[in-house]
Amino acid sequence: MTYRFLPDVALADIAFEAESDSVNGLFETCALAITDIMVDPRTLRATTERSLSLTSENLDRLLYDFMTELIFMKDVDSLLFGDFEVSVSEEGTSLAALARGEQIDRERHMLRNDVKAVTMHLFGVKHEGKSWRTTVVLDI
Amino acid sequence: MPANPAIKQVSDVAWEIPPSYKPGMQVPARLYATKKLLDNMDSGVIEQVTNVACLPGIVRYAYAMADAHWGYGFPIGGVAAFDTEKGIISPGGVGFDVNCGMRLIRTNLRFPEVKPRIKELVDLIFNLVPAGVGVKGTLNFSQSQMGDITSLGVKWCAEHDLAWEDDPQHVEEGGFIKGADISKVSRQAISRGVSQFGTLGSGNHYLEIQVVDPGRYLDRDLAKEFGIVHDDQVMVMIHCGSRGFGHQVCSDYLRNFESGMRSFGIEVRDRDLACLPFSSKEGQDYYSAMVCAANFAFVNRQIIVNQVREAFSRVFHRDAEALDMHLIYDVCHNVAKVETHTYDGTRTKVLVHRKGATRSFGPGHPDVPAPYKKIGQPVIIGGSMETGSYLLVGTQKAMEETFGSTAHGSGRTMSRTAAKKEVRGAELQRKMLDRGIYVKAATMDGLAEEAGMAYKDISEVVETMDRAGISKKVAALRPIGNIKG
Repeated sequence: MTYRFLPDVALADIAFEAESDSVNGLFETCALAITDIMVDPRTLRATTERSLSLTSENLDRLLYDFMTELIFMKDVDSLLFGDFEVSVSEEGTSLAALARGEQIDRERHMLRNDVKAVTMHLFGVKHEGKSWRTTVVLDI
Repeated sequence: MPANPAIKQVSDVAWEIPPSYKPGMQVPARLYATKKLLDNMDSGVIEQVTNVACLPGIVRYAYAMADAHWGYGFPIGGVAAFDTEKGIISPGGVGFDVNCGMRLIRTNLRFPEVKPRIKELVDLIFNLVPAGVGVKGTLNFSQSQMGDITSLGVKWCAEHDLAWEDDPQHVEEGGFIKGADISKVSRQAISRGVSQFGTLGSGNHYLEIQVVDPGRYLDRDLAKEFGIVHDDQVMVMIHCGSRGFGHQVCSDYLRNFESGMRSFGIEVRDRDLACLPFSSKEGQDYYSAMVCAANFAFVNRQIIVNQVREAFSRVFHRDAEALDMHLIYDVCHNVAKVETHTYDGTRTKVLVHRKGATRSFGPGHPDVPAPYKKIGQPVIIGGSMETGSYLLVGTQKAMEETFGSTAHGSGRTMSRTAAKKEVRGAELQRKMLDRGIYVKAATMDGLAEEAGMAYKDISEVVETMDRAGISKKVAALRPIGNIKG
């Protein structure tokens, strides 16, 4: 499970590429990358747990909706998460997830960029052999 | 960008690419730039502006202003007008941050009074105006109020003692665009936005204390029309938008536009140009939701102004009225609006998309507020936090050439990641302090990403649009204090 930032992809925003050997791992990796953009994850504790349950038309949309939900919880509930367990259905149209983190603490957390939206630019889930990959560009 | 033989110079600072350049182009592309700006423009701009020229119902030109750089679908600094019956509406032509825009407030304070208290002032504003990751505002509106707030914008604020009586007329569209419909906005967008009024956000958003900079440019006669009567007068500029509300609106509709295009037989060269007929139910639904987001942003900037007036009042021990802290103007630079324009000899309604572009209406236009009718609409173009900004006015030439549109800012030349590798935030903060600019930032990373060297030269951008006759310079404004999320 890895992600790397892509400095030449988006001038005004932030892009990353994520890879995993499982679809569940891909979703978890994307979530960790988003957290890493918003806060130094080493400063996050896992004192709050949230269950997520999502359904979408296809796997691309499911990942888009999952990442959008994390941004939503950051804005509405002031929650940032550093640990994820995701289980995507075989059809790739639904998921159940557990996210662990805590409420934003401006004194203790090393906050970074405010992620506002997932764009569709270059977006799509690719599955080749054992590799699951995606490129995500986030509006900052 | 390597020299492109398809780009023809048509005037001192205007260039065109003919429809023959790319299959599907309905109209030419027109770019405003000096040779230097054009040579340094990323090649993505050419690709994108010529893709926009292929969209159904586009009229006259697909435009790229002097600050243009690569965006999603439309270039940032892009303008395109569409026939309201045969043309499309595209969230990519508006941007995620609906009505990201600029507001300029004057004061009657002069630099020598403010300079010794700049740290106190900036620190206080930093405490009063939340900025950064996941911030919430201090006003507790309810979700049930969001319909009225996003319908009436700054007019709602004036009715609820959250704006001065003359504030609405000093905001584009009188402080609210007509056509909002909260029923077209998702619960998620409402939930994200309801607690974010009066917050600055992060990224390239800022609140800046500025001083008039006659050494760079000042037209004293024009400046007087805006209440700028001293060469060292202090101003305040706010750059922010519709926060999570607008972003969620864009996310919600982008999701559906892509799949919706198939049913209308629309194909685009770039998925980020996802669009639907403006006259379709889905197109109208997006428009109504987008207008809610635009009005949200007007209100957001209004609440921030109230906080800024409070801060100045506390630091200088006079109320904000006594400090003459009236709005000069507020402009959108990410929006799509139905406007009436004359082109090809006919006066007609068009849907003008401005994505990282500013309205620049000329003297006498009915939408220019009464105080400015003689001189033209104020245009506020923001530079980087190191280089300062400009106040300009719109022109009749803009009405004739660009659907009353001009540039919006400097335009980035370097990615955030690359900027952070070149510059350390703390070191930049110290250097700026040495140059007389006190910066308070929520994060040092965020500060480094916004370093001046990551942006084009604002003066060259503004000079280009002035030479083109599209917007006329009034005053350069130099930063002395800055708040960043």
